[in-house]
Amino acid sequence: MHYVVIGNGVAGTTAGETLRRLDPQSAITMLGDENFPPYCRPMISMVLEGTVSEKALPIRSADFYDTLRIHPVLGTRVSQLDPESKNLATADGQSFSYDKLLIASGSDPRAIDAENQNLDNIFYMRNYAQVRQMINALPSFKNALVLGGGLVGFKAAYGLLRRGLQVTMLISSGYPLSMQVDETAGQMILEVLKSRGLLVRVGSQVIGFEGGDRVRGAFLADGGHIPCELVVIGKGVFPAHGFVPRDKIKVDAGILVNGCMETSAADVYAAGDVAEFIDIARKRPWVNAIWPEAVAQGEVAGTNMAGRRFVYKGSLSRNVIRIFDTDVMTAGLVHPPSDDMEIQVLTETDRRRRLYRKLVFRKDVLAGFAMVNRIEQGGILTALIRSGLPVEKDKSRLLAPDFNFARLMPGSRACPIH
Amino acid sequence: MKEVIVHPERCLGCMQCMLACATAHSKSQTLFSAAGETPLPKPRVHVGVGTFEEGFPNRCRHCNPAPCMMACLPGAIYRDTATNTVLIDPGICINCASCAMACPYGVIRYHEDPAAPLNKVVAVKCDNCIERRQKGMIPACVEVCKTGALTFEEPAAAMKRKTDEVAQSLSSDAEAALKAPGFSLLNRTKKSRTAINTAR
Repeated sequence: MHYVVIGNGVAGTTAGETLRRLDPQSAITMLGDENFPPYCRPMISMVLEGTVSEKALPIRSADFYDTLRIHPVLGTRVSQLDPESKNLATADGQSFSYDKLLIASGSDPRAIDAENQNLDNIFYMRNYAQVRQMINALPSFKNALVLGGGLVGFKAAYGLLRRGLQVTMLISSGYPLSMQVDETAGQMILEVLKSRGLLVRVGSQVIGFEGGDRVRGAFLADGGHIPCELVVIGKGVFPAHGFVPRDKIKVDAGILVNGCMETSAADVYAAGDVAEFIDIARKRPWVNAIWPEAVAQGEVAGTNMAGRRFVYKGSLSRNVIRIFDTDVMTAGLVHPPSDDMEIQVLTETDRRRRLYRKLVFRKDVLAGFAMVNRIEQGGILTALIRSGLPVEKDKSRLLAPDFNFARLMPGSRACPIH
Repeated sequence: MKEVIVHPERCLGCMQCMLACATAHSKSQTLFSAAGETPLPKPRVHVGVGTFEEGFPNRCRHCNPAPCMMACLPGAIYRDTATNTVLIDPGICINCASCAMACPYGVIRYHEDPAAPLNKVVAVKCDNCIERRQKGMIPACVEVCKTGALTFEEPAAAMKRKTDEVAQSLSSDAEAALKAPGFSLLNRTKKSRTAINTAR
């Protein structure tokens, strides 16, 4: 048996480890476009911020491939895949055949449509190399422009603010993290960032950049101009499945998979950012390009590839962000469709203590939440979404910042049987 | 191997376990000195109120597999297999709160801790009193618990006892199975009071 894993992110890494644990004999080949040993990608924003040393980035030791007897093929990307002949080829001309294949190729940053994008000091923030370049050039910057108020743009802006730069954030929606949080939480986050000196421009787009070799400014669609020596493009990511033949493997936004992470083609699996799987809160297929999902899906894929059936219930979008002294956690459905009669929304706002809670219920089942500060018990809520258990008692109990796990237990269980 | 077992029906909510826990994780190891320490030692067991005002000592279950361990970005969470304890290395922890999002029981807190590097906020949770146990002592919360809501015993033995109690309660002579009539009365009173207050 020859397993091939495309991608050495955390989905591919976890799958590789699972395969080796369950199948000590077979050959495993792992392809990755980055030359480093597996590292923690969500932490690159903390490296930019300066709170985490780059030495802390690797999630596995340098001899990871040797120890697990995995053949690494690094520094190249897969360019072609034929699931019928079970062959694939890389951009630099190597070819491989497989018995079972895992596509864990992750995602790429979404490009923008603007002129002069090839100027120096215009970055995407997706991998360690890009952050390293930014840090190297940091001393020469005073003004930074961050495009996008999503997670990447947001973390970039935060990191650069902490580095002492004057940062302008350009967002198309009214508040940052509009995909993750609702307006109330979004405004609270915006206030925190503004109070620390972030400039925010809402509702415009960049159409081009100016400068000789290096970027010196950006032109906006509304005729405005923003001077800047550093630009970070954080307009989200899209699954990296350009090499997948769509007539042979079903692809929607991501590669469609079932609970065993199997694609529509025989012996081809997908996991992580590139995969699209039923979302437990939204109740429809969804790409959840987040680290913990990639870990879970990598393990499910590896287990099934090794011949042991392991069905995954569904993915769940979730995120936690700490900015200055403010914590934000969200999961599942935060923006429910307003015409859905089954949806019930509970909120609680305490402006003075800067607390916010929003719970979204579908009938009696928790489908999503957003919370600002006092987030330490948020895991109880994510577990509640995952379990799908109805909350039949007073739902507002869950809004209390100091609620206790016992509040979820049926009264009979806390009362002695004897 | 012995483990801490929680018997929620016997918890009065006195919170002595919290004080004992904070003291056990202080520099001085005595309550009065611990109260003046910087950083202030904090409990890792969290007593809260349940649905009918009963106490509930919420404590790390040391799950296996542990969701916090799988969610940890820098790999700071690991398992000590000798004591079946999930531990957090404060030197590696980056205070990202990914574990807060993963813990289904909500038992992880974020603050400075005497065991962590100075001025560093880290994730802190129950460590099964691993240092005390190396000295031959039992976990502090169990030692201080006056009502038997927390016990330190072989899980198999505790399971057997519980199974026997359930079996006995199902037998025709159910009254004879009353092992702790005081707690039963107390909890029933609390429950009735809550029911009356809710009905009002």
